[in-house]
Formats: sequence, structure tokens, C-alpha cells
Amino acid sequence: MSSALPDNTSKAPEKEAEAVPENKRSPSDFLKAVLGRPVNVRLNSGTDYRGVLACLDGYMNIAMEQTEEYVDGQLKSKYGDCFIRGNNVMYISSQRR
Amino acid sequence: MSNRILPLELIDKTIGSPIWILMRGQTEITGILRGFDDYVNLVLEDAVEYSPDPRDKSVVVKTELKSEILLNGNHVAVLVPGGTGPEDSLASRAS
Amino acid sequence: MEEPLDLIRLSIDERVYVKCRNDRELRGRLHAYDQHLNMVLSDVEETITTTEEDEETGEEIVSKKTRSVGMLFVRGDIIVLVSPPLRTS
Repeated sequence: MSSALPDNTSKAPEKEAEAVPENKRSPSDFLKAVLGRPVNVRLNSGTDYRGVLACLDGYMNIAMEQTEEYVDGQLKSKYGDCFIRGNNVMYISSQRR
Repeated sequence: MSNRILPLELIDKTIGSPIWILMRGQTEITGILRGFDDYVNLVLEDAVEYSPDPRDKSVVVKTELKSEILLNGNHVAVLVPGGTGPEDSLASRAS
Repeated sequence: MEEPLDLIRLSIDERVYVKCRNDRELRGRLHAYDQHLNMVLSDVEETITTTEEDEETGEEIVSKKTRSVGMLFVRGDIIVLVSPPLRTS
């Protein structure tokens, strides 16, 4: 009597398994998925910044943590926290590590 | 009434298909279009970047990004629906 | 932290590192900023890095020039990156 129903029917899907309607993924869906995760930010200059995405705004200004700066693929420096001005950003890619 | 296709409708029809993007400057990017917004920020899967080598600008470096990317619409110049990139372009076949 | 500019707000009166376009770097105390990221910095050390190619050997010569400025204004649109001082966190 006291046993509950198996909850595998009612349980909300995990964030990652979220059903995306029509297999579309808008920029804001993407950003929700990568917030707090390791990302690679490529600037128009070709410089890459790898770190954890702390937050960003509508201009694509970005705050990152544990950031590594790569110029021509070579590690050039590290920053604890850093702010990147959005106009320089070419793309943000999710980084698996 | 009008069956003229609006610019963003064209992009919407491309969702789920390959797209070729020419950026302002030399960079070109291809990938599968997953979504976009009114600023033409684009979400791409299996993106490949073609950009000039910083040491020798006549050499194009191909980089497979191997993850989903959000491309800033600010620097997008041209979108080619169905395009699979410079390797498949008329220009490369000519040379 | 809700938005990226909060990182800048939390750096007021602290020494910050500002990376600008054209290999220009600034280190100074952040007095003020606005929504464009225009900034007022004091006790600034400016570093400009230039690379030239040696005409005979073709080698790249990297040279850094630094100078000090008491107080300056930086226009936001030349800024690439801002990093607050390292906090132990």
C-alpha cells in the first residue's frame, strides 16, 4: 500500500535530454546549455579563449573563469576571471574535456 | 498571395541542412544549421572553419570544431543554404 | 554575477589588465566605466608590442615599449579583454 508508483513516468527529463521541438536549437537554447560549462571562444583576430562560461549578455559580452589564452594555438597566458567584449567574438563552441 | 520568400524564411528552411557561411574578412564556416535568431546569430553542428594561416595568408587552414557552436551574427556576410564549403565551390574547381 | 559587466563593476578601485586592439595593453587602477566599456584608469602602464621583420634574415623581431600615464580615458570599442586582479577563489 505504501509503495509509491515507479517514478520513471513522472520524472522530468534531465536538462541535457530536454526535448527540442522539431530538432531546432535557437541561440538562447545553446547558451542555456553551455552556461557554467567549459567553452572555447574564438575572436575575429584568431585568438582563442578556453575557460568556464560564467555569464554573457545580448552583446555577446562574456565573463569567463579559469581562462587560457591561445594565440596561433599556443598557450600565451591565463586569467582567473576575464571579461571579453562581445564585438570581438566570432563564435562560442562547447568544449568537451 | 505573394509567394516571395523572406530572407529569414530562407534561413528557416535551411534548419537541419548544411549551410556555408562567408564572414566579413577571410573566414568561412560550414556546418549543419540547428537554429538562429533575428540577429542571424547561428547555432551550428559539425562546424568546420576555413581561415587564412596567420603566418602565410595564402594558405587556408581547415579546422573541424567537433562541437556545437554559436556564431555571432555580427560578422556574418553571406549565407549559402545547402553549401558545403569552399572545397565544393566553383572557384576551387576552377583552380 | 548576473551579467558580464558585473565583473567590471566588482573591479572598481582595483588594478585591472586591459587588452586592446593592435597589441596594446594597459595596466592600471579602474576609476570608472560605462555601458560601452569606456574606462577611466589611473597609474597606468601602457605596453605596445610591435613585430617587425628583419630585412636580411627575415626573422621576426618582437619589441615591447612601455610608458606610464597618470590618468587616461580608454574608448570601449578598442577593448578586447579585461581581467581583474587574481583573487584566490
